[in-house]
Amino acid sequence: MITIKDLSFRYDRTNHDVLNNLNFEIFPGTVNVLLGLNGCGKTTLIKLLAGLLDNNRGDIQYDSRSIRELPIKERSKVFAYVAQIRSGNDEFLVKDYLAYGFVNTLKFYESPKKEQLEQVDAIAKRFNIEHLLGKELGQLSGGEKQIVTIASAIIQNTPIVILDEPTSALDLKNQNLVLSILKDIAKEGKTIIMSSHNPNHALFLNANVLLMNDGEIKKIGNAKEIIKVNILKEVYGDAICLSKDLSYEEISFN
Amino acid sequence: MNKKTAIYLSCSLGIFAIVFCVALMVGRYPMALSDFFKCIFSSDSAYNTQRSIILNLRLPRTLMACFAGIGLSVSGLLYQEIFQNKLTSPDLLGVSSGASVGAAIAILLGLSSVFISVFAFVMGVATVMITMIVARLFKNNNSSVTLILAGIIVGGFMSAMLSLVKYFADPTTTLASITYWLMGSFQNAKMTEVYIMFPVMLASCIALLLMSWRINIIALGREEAQTKGLNYKAYRISIIAIATLLTALSVAFCGTISWIGLVVPHIVRLIVGRDTRKTIPLCMTFGATFMILVDIFSRTFTDAEIPLSAITGLFGTIIFVIILVYRRKEVYNDNN
Repeated sequence: MITIKDLSFRYDRTNHDVLNNLNFEIFPGTVNVLLGLNGCGKTTLIKLLAGLLDNNRGDIQYDSRSIRELPIKERSKVFAYVAQIRSGNDEFLVKDYLAYGFVNTLKFYESPKKEQLEQVDAIAKRFNIEHLLGKELGQLSGGEKQIVTIASAIIQNTPIVILDEPTSALDLKNQNLVLSILKDIAKEGKTIIMSSHNPNHALFLNANVLLMNDGEIKKIGNAKEIIKVNILKEVYGDAICLSKDLSYEEISFN
Repeated sequence: MNKKTAIYLSCSLGIFAIVFCVALMVGRYPMALSDFFKCIFSSDSAYNTQRSIILNLRLPRTLMACFAGIGLSVSGLLYQEIFQNKLTSPDLLGVSSGASVGAAIAILLGLSSVFISVFAFVMGVATVMITMIVARLFKNNNSSVTLILAGIIVGGFMSAMLSLVKYFADPTTTLASITYWLMGSFQNAKMTEVYIMFPVMLASCIALLLMSWRINIIALGREEAQTKGLNYKAYRISIIAIATLLTALSVAFCGTISWIGLVVPHIVRLIVGRDTRKTIPLCMTFGATFMILVDIFSRTFTDAEIPLSAITGLFGTIIFVIILVYRRKEVYNDNN
């Protein structure tokens, strides 16, 4: 279980807290979606959970142990992280990139073993990306790259997977594909923490929603309880509406 | 290592061995192939002169060329990987400009060649440390950009210092020595320098080969490297330290040699791709071969020795243009 206690955060060159005294818990095996406007602190919270930012006030605990005390290698065995947009080197082959997920199991002079390379093939098969293994990351479409990035996080075999807006750069088809993959992963009992700009995604995943505004958690609860027009209006404004014209209900704007 | 890389590595090792032997044979005192083998493999006193030329003059300078080629090529590759910028060279953090100031001060003070090397090495390493301190003062999370910026600032400061030292130098004696040193040469190479360089080169190369797979992960950037379980800061500082050591030693003993740290990694990447398990060993063989060829050219093309940077600059720029044109064609073909 992840426990967030009195968590506040301020960037070096700002004079206000981006996160303001957060207190909540994330339970094992749940899907958790952070919703809120741009700049409300979602990415900051995601990065703090992934251990990519420090100097926060308060504490983040995993199974009653502060994640500050976890060495980087140990932390990577608990939390896997998928960035919003992969900004790093794009010239590596997909099969090599996926194998990098094993680095926390190897000694400093070792490279992946045969059975680990077989696991790469198995994961690629599971995610239907076998045909991409011999391509460079830079040759992939946005959707393919995002699925490869998620697959590389799954290879770490951690109990918790953290994703920063995993569908932000994707078309509708790829959004659906990524969300279906996340649903599958959740069924294995992994805890998923992700940020999103689309409340419908939280409904699709039947997630636990953390609705954020101005660095604070406004509401926490199941998507069906939180994704309601009157609640969302408090954060997103009056233009929010529930469309019932289609065969399914969808949150959108007037 | 796949079959293709193994073939390239074997071929480049073979070419390196041939070029190494040629470097020992050619020069102002040319030697026939048969004479060369006789003075290497026999103790016939008739070949004492040739043997002395090979062991005391050509062997140390060829070994130094080999070490400088390896050091500058590999450190160029390392800087390009960890800063995720293919246009960075070993002087990114100011090591060469700092070493140049150190050497120029030693020449200005009339110190011996040993002290010139010591001054150059110490100033080169100190300049990188100053760059790291300046980068920390910026307090910016995007540390790669701030480090590059700090390197440009400190490098600029050192260039100004060098201009001042040159201004105070005697135009007829010391200024000429400083200018000649800055263009790089293996003319004064000695076996004592080889004995200093060899263990450092060997230890650095072994360490780099052992962690070559992880350097790939560091090249992904801080976020990915750290969340996959690597201590990014520790690895980056270790890699910068090794690259700085290799560059500072090369510059201290051989002067500043431009372009090789930029061109060789590009050639190697063009052949085997980005994986540092393949590029590091190939940078070693290609860098050593390229530098020995440059040295052969420098001492055989004219009666006087041509400074190394003039040759590496000439060939380096031409090769770089060829690489860019080739890559452009490759990208064009990929997009069509």
